[in-house]
Amino acid sequence: MDFQRSDAIVTLQSSTGQLASSKDEAVTVESRLDWWSIAALAPAITILLGFLLLFFYGVFQSLTDLKFGRPQVHFIGLDNYAALIKTGDFWNSVRATLVYAGSAVLAQAVFGLVLAKLFATEVILARVMRPVILLPLVLPPMSVALMWTTMMDPQNGIMNYLLSLAGIGRFAWISDPNTAMFSLVVIDVWTYTPFFALITFAGLQGINEEVREAARVNGAKAWATFWHIELPLIAPYILIAAVFRLIESLNQFDIIFGTTQGGPGNSTSVLSVRAYITAFQNLAFGRGAALMVVNWMIVLIGTVAMVKLWRFVRQRVS
Amino acid sequence: MVYGPKSLSEGIMPRKVAASRGHSASFTRRVLICSALLTGTAAALNQAKADDVNWRQFEGTSIVWAYDIHPYADAVAAQLPEFEKLTGIKVTPELYPDDAYWNKLTIQLSTKSPSWDVVGTGIQPAWDLAPGQLLEPLDRYLSDPKLTAVGYDYKDFFPALRDALTWKVKEGQIEPGSGQVWAVPHGFENIQLFYRKDILDKYGLKVPTTPPEMSAACEKLKAADPAITPLGVRGVRFWSSIHTAAISIAKSYGVHDFIVKDGKLDTGLDSPESMAFHTDYVDMIKKCAAPSFANDNWYQVVDGINSGRTAMAIDSNMFGFWNDVAGKPASGKIAFAPPLHAPNKDFESNIWIWSLAINAASRKKGAAWLFIQWATSKQVELNGAVAGKLVNSPRASTWSDKAWLEYAAKPEFSNFVDTFKTVQDRAQLAFTARVGFAEAMNAWAVAMQKMVNGADVKATLADLASEIRSSM
Repeated sequence: MDFQRSDAIVTLQSSTGQLASSKDEAVTVESRLDWWSIAALAPAITILLGFLLLFFYGVFQSLTDLKFGRPQVHFIGLDNYAALIKTGDFWNSVRATLVYAGSAVLAQAVFGLVLAKLFATEVILARVMRPVILLPLVLPPMSVALMWTTMMDPQNGIMNYLLSLAGIGRFAWISDPNTAMFSLVVIDVWTYTPFFALITFAGLQGINEEVREAARVNGAKAWATFWHIELPLIAPYILIAAVFRLIESLNQFDIIFGTTQGGPGNSTSVLSVRAYITAFQNLAFGRGAALMVVNWMIVLIGTVAMVKLWRFVRQRVS
Repeated sequence: MVYGPKSLSEGIMPRKVAASRGHSASFTRRVLICSALLTGTAAALNQAKADDVNWRQFEGTSIVWAYDIHPYADAVAAQLPEFEKLTGIKVTPELYPDDAYWNKLTIQLSTKSPSWDVVGTGIQPAWDLAPGQLLEPLDRYLSDPKLTAVGYDYKDFFPALRDALTWKVKEGQIEPGSGQVWAVPHGFENIQLFYRKDILDKYGLKVPTTPPEMSAACEKLKAADPAITPLGVRGVRFWSSIHTAAISIAKSYGVHDFIVKDGKLDTGLDSPESMAFHTDYVDMIKKCAAPSFANDNWYQVVDGINSGRTAMAIDSNMFGFWNDVAGKPASGKIAFAPPLHAPNKDFESNIWIWSLAINAASRKKGAAWLFIQWATSKQVELNGAVAGKLVNSPRASTWSDKAWLEYAAKPEFSNFVDTFKTVQDRAQLAFTARVGFAEAMNAWAVAMQKMVNGADVKATLADLASEIRSSM
């Protein structure tokens, strides 16, 4: 026991001595390198601080009664948030945000997977269509919104004309509160499905052909190969695409504001649109900032959940 | 190109002759407009020479003039080379679609961006902008003989329009009637019902005068021709859809956006009069308006009446006039009437004043003022009017000018001048002057959409009133 103790003491002492000498050396080296490191990192740190400052300034604004025409701005704590959660319109906006983002991302994942499988085949048409299908991604979202607004006009739009050719009667699209959200999801799906398809296609290309070959040798049919081998292997790719799209869909503004402006009524008034209207049309900046902070919190929670899911799936796959 | 049904003489006339006649009429019209513009320009230059203002005092400056995409802007833009020649100031117009313009205006001004020097505004948006010191008061420019020409004659603007743009800001609220001048009128509009004579004649319909009459007429029209939208009205969830048809008709029902109750300002939108108005109005919209009502702005209203897809419209009167201009597909087919009114009551008509103001953050205010002064001068207003663009000039001198009166009395404009005079006698600003206009009226536009989509009128108005009260 004693030996062990003295050993321990010796070890500890020698370790301390080693630490002390290496610390001295490190301090000397660091004091020489510090300035270079700081200088190299300074722009990045400044930009990061700038971004954070703006964000925290927004959070601070949400705690004030900042409004045009008010001679003085007062700190009002959480009053803006308290006022918001008491209104039905706020909860309607939360619901609209979640419904929009959830259904758009889900539909894009399904259609993206189908498209990616099609791209992975050797069919000539699929090869030709690969670059064409990516076109919606490069269009400015506001142009997409204006284009679809015209196409979805219930009286003169081409969408109803095409439906009429199939014997389907007039559809209200973005002009009716019952169909407006569905119409917006259609626009989002049309625009961003190629993004999912691209990422999923990359995942499919990454699967070793020998794995598929082994499955075939063991008598697995095409559907079983896809369901039990390909899908689990590309799941992390789908989920990472879903993370990006979820962040963007929860924040979506251009497509919604450019088509319905949150209407008819409040049927498509997602948080980002409501925040914009509150701040920049109604000139109630404090309350608008509170809505933006709520939207940010929802994005944060959604993203963290999706990233955890992605890590879990990746671990299982590996 | 031949539009619409041909007249008998056109049917008999050989195509070449008809074409050459049309061409020659168009040529004559162009010559007349060009002559008027040249005469006007010469007069403006002479006037400039006679003025004691040095028009070249800001020579070499460049300014940005922001405005809505609008024929009023086109009228000024067409004459810009003359301004640049007169002053040596370069003007860059930045024109945006209606909704985008108002949003961008708020952002540009509220962020104190100096990039826009002159902005187009109306009285109502200016109520929200002035107290934040985002607009430059114009009194000192108007009273400075080095900056304002004697011949500018500010008192030539209709007194009601001048008064509407003059107010005090006291404790963050508007006190109309006296105070500072915040903008100069550049064109104005009163709200009217305009209609396609050809469509109403074809189906033997009389011009409706009340919302219930309009609803009945729409049902008949829809039964006769389902492809035609009986009535074009704005429906977007933005205050601009309230300030035309809705507020004008509401006023005739006795509705007030705000009232003074027990010495305090309160909203009048949940009053019994408001209930009666909304019941009739919502019923009328359901029976008459396009299915795209919730997305329709004035662009859709004008397009509908111009193309003949819409039979009637309630909006600013010049939308009818512009489409009556010779050469337009609907020329001579659009006639005018006062806006609808409550049964057994007289009509009311709201006014909108397109005005030019200086961004308080502009670094070129002197040059900006010279531009405003020129753009709202007698000659530029008259030139714009006889070009068929700046229809409702805010200057009394335009309305007594023979060139304009003769032009506006042409047969293709039907009863434009007479209806204008009738409506203008009763037309007035229908909103209460106060900061917070946009917030309250945007909420009203959203409530209107909800009611048109089937929400209970009484409950929606109660919610609307409570929302407005909570923001006061």
